[in-house]
Amino acid sequence: MRIRTVALLIILFGMLVVLSLTYAQNAPEASEKGKQVYENSCAHCHGVEGRGDGSAAENLLPKPRDFTRGLYKIRSTETGQLPTDQDLFDIITEGMPGSSMPPWETALSANDRWEVTAYIKTFYDGFKEAETPPKQISLSGKVANSEQSVETGKALYSELGCVECHGNIGRGDGTSAPDLTDEWGDQSWPANLTQGWNFRGGSDTEDIFKRFVGGLAGSAMPAFEGDSFPGFGLTAEESSRMIELDNKDEMTEAEEEESAQLYEKYDAAVDIALNLAEGTELSAEEKQIYDDAMKVVYEKSWHLANYVKSLMPEKRPEPAIGNNVLRSQYVQGELPEMDDAAWGTLEASYFPLVGQVVIEPRQFNPTVDAVNVKSYYSDTEVAFLFIWDDRTHTTDETDEETGKILEDALAVQFPVKVPQGPTAPKPYFLWGGRLPVYLWHWKASAPEQVTELTAKGISNAEVQEAQGELKAQGTYTEGQYKLWVKRALKTDDKKDLQLDPGVFVPIAFSAWDGANGDVDTKRVMTSWYTFVLEPVPSSKRFVYPPLIALLSVGFLFGLRAFVQRRNSEEV
Amino acid sequence: MKKLSLFTICLIILVGSWVFLRFVVGGIISVPIPGSVIAMYMGLIVIAILVHISVEDSLFREFRRPILETLVDDKRRLHRRVLVVLIPLLLLGYTYLIIAQRANPPGSPRDAHPSPPLELTYKDEVIGTMQDVVNPFRHYEKDDPEAFKAHVENGKRVYHQNCFYCHGDHLDGQGHFAPYLQPLPANFQDPGIIPNFQESFFFWRIAKGGPGLPAAGGPWDSAMPVWEDTLTKDEIWDVILFLSDYTGYQPRTFGEAH
Repeated sequence: MRIRTVALLIILFGMLVVLSLTYAQNAPEASEKGKQVYENSCAHCHGVEGRGDGSAAENLLPKPRDFTRGLYKIRSTETGQLPTDQDLFDIITEGMPGSSMPPWETALSANDRWEVTAYIKTFYDGFKEAETPPKQISLSGKVANSEQSVETGKALYSELGCVECHGNIGRGDGTSAPDLTDEWGDQSWPANLTQGWNFRGGSDTEDIFKRFVGGLAGSAMPAFEGDSFPGFGLTAEESSRMIELDNKDEMTEAEEEESAQLYEKYDAAVDIALNLAEGTELSAEEKQIYDDAMKVVYEKSWHLANYVKSLMPEKRPEPAIGNNVLRSQYVQGELPEMDDAAWGTLEASYFPLVGQVVIEPRQFNPTVDAVNVKSYYSDTEVAFLFIWDDRTHTTDETDEETGKILEDALAVQFPVKVPQGPTAPKPYFLWGGRLPVYLWHWKASAPEQVTELTAKGISNAEVQEAQGELKAQGTYTEGQYKLWVKRALKTDDKKDLQLDPGVFVPIAFSAWDGANGDVDTKRVMTSWYTFVLEPVPSSKRFVYPPLIALLSVGFLFGLRAFVQRRNSEEV
Repeated sequence: MKKLSLFTICLIILVGSWVFLRFVVGGIISVPIPGSVIAMYMGLIVIAILVHISVEDSLFREFRRPILETLVDDKRRLHRRVLVVLIPLLLLGYTYLIIAQRANPPGSPRDAHPSPPLELTYKDEVIGTMQDVVNPFRHYEKDDPEAFKAHVENGKRVYHQNCFYCHGDHLDGQGHFAPYLQPLPANFQDPGIIPNFQESFFFWRIAKGGPGLPAAGGPWDSAMPVWEDTLTKDEIWDVILFLSDYTGYQPRTFGEAH
């Protein structure tokens, strides 16, 4: 009995400890322990003094955070506010997807993560000087996701100028995308809003809302002050009426009057916001106007968050590994051309790309996330559709350092000869070695052309003598490349790969983003994956199963007859 | 309660064992068991049942009685009718699934830690035999802790400028490029890695990279670079010191000969 009581007490105590750790809102006082954890696990990127200048920082983009400025991108707090302790703790715990900040949840105990949170705060005096806790963004007015909310958000997306950086449909391909820098002067690529898995602070609607309302401090993403909203101080109907009137070529007298009234209301509200920002006390009436205006702004921000959420798939696609290989589907007759609706019905295989960090010059900060591939084949030919996102359309930029021409490109790699059996050697995954690879090399400057190469190493590729066996068509629209390629299954060229249905063929990819400085070995790539011309299912599947079923019926009746005869003989 | 017939008991044992292996052991308790292993266990159980029922004539008769009854007895007409439909249908479905199954690519059997060569080299320079070479800076650990610390610090720098993209900040093989590489980068926090190999082995793996693996290691797949092309000998030894210092695991050593 006593043992049981003790055990119960221990369990209760354990639960209490877990609960207190989970719900702790504030970090402990900075301690020697925090410093030790920091120097052991964080300083190599963030620097011993927290300036974001550790030994690894040089090769990283986004750069590791400089803690001495107190600027934090991922916060639950309003514009201009410091993050809460919980915000910092969460980032350490969960990491920042799409960057080199890993999740520390398993590597560091919760206690260590709290200690390090406290230590990080010592790099910026503002944390100590702050008299009141940072003001958190209220999530209470959440607008549920609906078709209408998404539509409203979409209109706001262009009204607020999001397109300039994030592009018309959110692929991060806006006109100013390549020129953005952060507070420290480093390149700051706008998010591709269709790839939620790369959102540093998570891609839930609430996360998006917080990023939008609070801003990503230090980055090129502005914080949306209420008065930067078109029609600040107006109701939703009034502001859309104002825009409608603005867009009219000619207004009647009554309309001019109406427009002037709306502008007056708008200007008054903006003035109040400016006064507030300067620290002026507001009158009760002004405060009411301001609060009402902010309510509309928050509601609009939810619409915008709902719209951004609608741009991305629910989760990152599964990579085409294991049995989930790229399967080319058989069609009779002509293969679909590039714009054929047949491509739409086919699910793409997803090949995530990583930086080429094996051979100098290396690419540590890839900008192309993945290439999606679809394929059909007929009795004589095979066609592929390669789809990948790239924020910029680069065809002939000159690299300032090397003088080399930078341009966007894609290469598809096969072995020249398919290895026979699972243990047979493959060519080296980086463009071959002792065993050669067969390559299709496409460049954005010549979108109708694919060059066939034979390579025995990443810097040892030869253009094949016989060209013109491939038909190609490439397009760039809204931050996305599409490349359609067609080739005969069999060619006369001995240096080409010959294709047969049912044979599993190794396949790999390389991609270059000219605007990211990709050229030659500096590129993104994959290791070997697998591709197969999926054989048409055998018609035997309609013959043998019924046959076996019939035989089994015959066997059962035979058995019964046998037993009956034996029984009667025994009798 | 009616006593269960021997046949029913055997059937329950058979089906129960399969469910237990497939869903309880290979699901609730542990990771799924490969089909071939389940088939082997099931084969053993079938043999055990056959042995049991063939020990005595009476047991065998008892076992087959329900089968014979189902085949001919008028009392069992309903059972018979259900089975004569069910058995062929199940066979039909099963054969269809087998024939229509789409082919999957062959797995690539790969030796993650293949045998090293007899001689350790850096570029073309022979350092010594794999068995005898030791880390030239290891002795500082006892002789000169300050110098040792400097070497570990340098190893840390080398690691974070070259290795952590794949092997991770925490040396756990979970760098930000790791999830999309095949094979996965080595996890140095795994207690089965560092303590099992000599430092000369790590030198060999780092210096020669993926392309230096013997055929059994799948040298064509590994994204591990040939570091002797970019790192000096000393840098490689330093990074090895860092690996064991950070993880707390000591590489394997062989005692000095007396």
